Amino acid sequence: MAKQLTSEALPVDLPGVKRTRKKTKDTDNLTGYLFILPFLVGFIALTVFPVAMSLYLSFTDYDMLGQANWIGLENYQRMLTDDNKFLQSVKVTFFYVLTAVPFRLIFALAVALLLAKVMVMKGLYRTLLYLPSVIGGSVAISVMWRQLFGNEGALNSILAQLGIPTVSWLGDPAYAIWTLILLYGWQFGSSMLIFLAGLKNIPNSYYEAAQVDGANAWHRFIKITIPLLTPIILFNVIMQLIQGFMAFTPSYIIFGDGRPLNSTLLYVLYMFQRAFTFFDMGYASAMAWMLLLVIGIFTALIFKSSSYWVHYESEGDK
Amino acid sequence: MYKRSTLWTLIMTITLTFALAACSSGGNEPANQGTGGNTTTNTVDSGSGGEGGDVTLRLMWWGSQTRHDLTMEVIKLYQEKNPNVKIETEFTGFDGYWEKLAAMVAGNNMPDVLQMNFGEYMTQYAGKDVLADLQPFVESGTIDVSKINEGLMESGQANGKLLGIPLGMNALTVIYDEQMLKDAGAKVPDMNWTWDDWKAAAAAVHEKTGEYGTQGLETGNIFEYYARQNGQQLFNEDATGLGYDDQLLIDYFQMTLDEQEKGTYPKLDVIMQHEAIEDQLIVHGKAPFDFRWSNQVVALTKAAGRPLKLAPLPGPDTAKGMYLKPAMFFSISKKSKQQEEAAKFIDFFINDVEANKIMNGERGVPVNSEVRDALAADLDETNKMIFEYIDMLGEHSSPIDSNFPPGSSEVLAALKEVNEQVMYKQLTPAEAAKEFRERAESTIKRAQ
Repeated sequence: MAKQLTSEALPVDLPGVKRTRKKTKDTDNLTGYLFILPFLVGFIALTVFPVAMSLYLSFTDYDMLGQANWIGLENYQRMLTDDNKFLQSVKVTFFYVLTAVPFRLIFALAVALLLAKVMVMKGLYRTLLYLPSVIGGSVAISVMWRQLFGNEGALNSILAQLGIPTVSWLGDPAYAIWTLILLYGWQFGSSMLIFLAGLKNIPNSYYEAAQVDGANAWHRFIKITIPLLTPIILFNVIMQLIQGFMAFTPSYIIFGDGRPLNSTLLYVLYMFQRAFTFFDMGYASAMAWMLLLVIGIFTALIFKSSSYWVHYESEGDK
Repeated sequence: MYKRSTLWTLIMTITLTFALAACSSGGNEPANQGTGGNTTTNTVDSGSGGEGGDVTLRLMWWGSQTRHDLTMEVIKLYQEKNPNVKIETEFTGFDGYWEKLAAMVAGNNMPDVLQMNFGEYMTQYAGKDVLADLQPFVESGTIDVSKINEGLMESGQANGKLLGIPLGMNALTVIYDEQMLKDAGAKVPDMNWTWDDWKAAAAAVHEKTGEYGTQGLETGNIFEYYARQNGQQLFNEDATGLGYDDQLLIDYFQMTLDEQEKGTYPKLDVIMQHEAIEDQLIVHGKAPFDFRWSNQVVALTKAAGRPLKLAPLPGPDTAKGMYLKPAMFFSISKKSKQQEEAAKFIDFFINDVEANKIMNGERGVPVNSEVRDALAADLDETNKMIFEYIDMLGEHSSPIDSNFPPGSSEVLAALKEVNEQVMYKQLTPAEAAKEFRERAESTIKRAQ
């Protein structure tokens, strides 16, 4: 350590050398910036500028065709005090996120645990299980969902065969949202792969040692797998939560406009309607910022809570 | 030394920037298509080669694949006759069209000629003053409207300007399955049938077959008719609010609710699952009545594979309620630098017999009476029926209401929602009528 320091400190005593070093450093920076220029240009033109613009628009009555007039906080005020449909969309979205995200994560973990045991044709299984995530947003899914859950669909004909009363899964406001939750859970591919990578990282020796001590499979899962997986769980929870709040396509392609009775009116779908169906772009921009705020709060809360339940192996060294 | 390398890096990065930019825009396209409906942009090859092309017009419309194919053929014909004109086309489905057009207006990139819709859409665009006044072109004779029904031409006016030329005529109609009604011993609708006849026929079919007695009613259009036939209007005369007594909406809700209770009127989940035109209850022989626009009868008959008949909506006072509607307009952008050429194209589109023979009434019954007569000889059974129906309504209808206030698209969406709440029995008809009035009035007030 000490030796390094001296060699590091040495050139400081020689002014000429110092100057050269500094110059080189600046050039390095310039080259660096040039290398990230493609990203920077795209980031500023396609992300920073629109984001700033939407913040400005959220304080206006912009309708895409005319002038944007400054109306201060009116959009936000209307949202919170005078828009029942907004409240409905918030309700639907919270229910959706708080149900669908745990459902997907538990399902993904279960599949990952099974898949970790598979030794033959791992690649094939992984690919097949990832497929739903790839086709998830396509219109084909909306057709399939109607075939499955329609009044005369596959599920109802099975129920009828078994003598169980059938339900209008897509038409009943009490059930429609569940078909979306199921769809979200079904697209478990990416979380599953991340869990799988996490599972592979847990050294086998821990399990062997536990087995020698007489721990059964459940104990090994609870005492070794889960704690060592918590960083991965944290990552997945945050990613999925953000994705859940921003869900739009499933509801849009299956139900279109939030029917029945706005029971599938996800937040972003309502935002889309306000912007593009009713040309209420200022209000939609305000909704987008509100969503950002809510996602930010949730993410922050989860990060805060992580010190209570996430275990990092390296922490042992502290 | 490092200067040269810096220069190189600069060149490379800039090249890369553009390359990546190109990649990303290419990559974004499918995603846009997924959400905004299919959008296609291309130029019709006129066949006459690259010569001419002094004028390039941009034309945009919405529609089905059939409409795209037929319109392309008409454009080809126009380019053959006018080699100096080149037409670039953009078309999408109805979903996504208005989003796209709004974005074009916002981006100062409107097409020269665009398809426009009656009612809330026309109101909205008229209010923004982005469409050209076509009156000068009509006066100069560039667009010949002498063979067009005057009432229909009026529908293209807003704020005292002529903003759209109607391309076809449409009307609401009840499509019925004559055989199904006769089998049940029900009365077949005629010119003077009433809502009571409709209920009786629906009940007879339901009792006899166990199927539904009717398809559900599309609230916005049918309630508008209901208000008109009772001497009232959906919106008030100066377009600042609603134009009917709440009792009327309560009666309407009560009527459909009663029918639902009797089992003659399908529940909303059934209606929702038979939305595509090929999948309507009447197509599957599951209901004898369907309420629609007359130009949709072609598709419906084709899907059903058996003849269906047309009647006006149930009376009393049918003629007071019924109206001829411009199926759609062509409008010209106010910013277009080629309004004269654009107007010539519209004139060709509505008045040329050959062009209309290609389209065969796909945009509704042709507006030019001479064109209509020229087409009449070669029509198939279904189209003949539609032409006759429209002709008959010419005598037995009242002018269309065009007093749509700003924000009316949202008002109509709210009407659809409260209707759902009534049918799911979350609101009584009286509560629903009250709630709708509140929502409609606050929306209109805000939009004004």
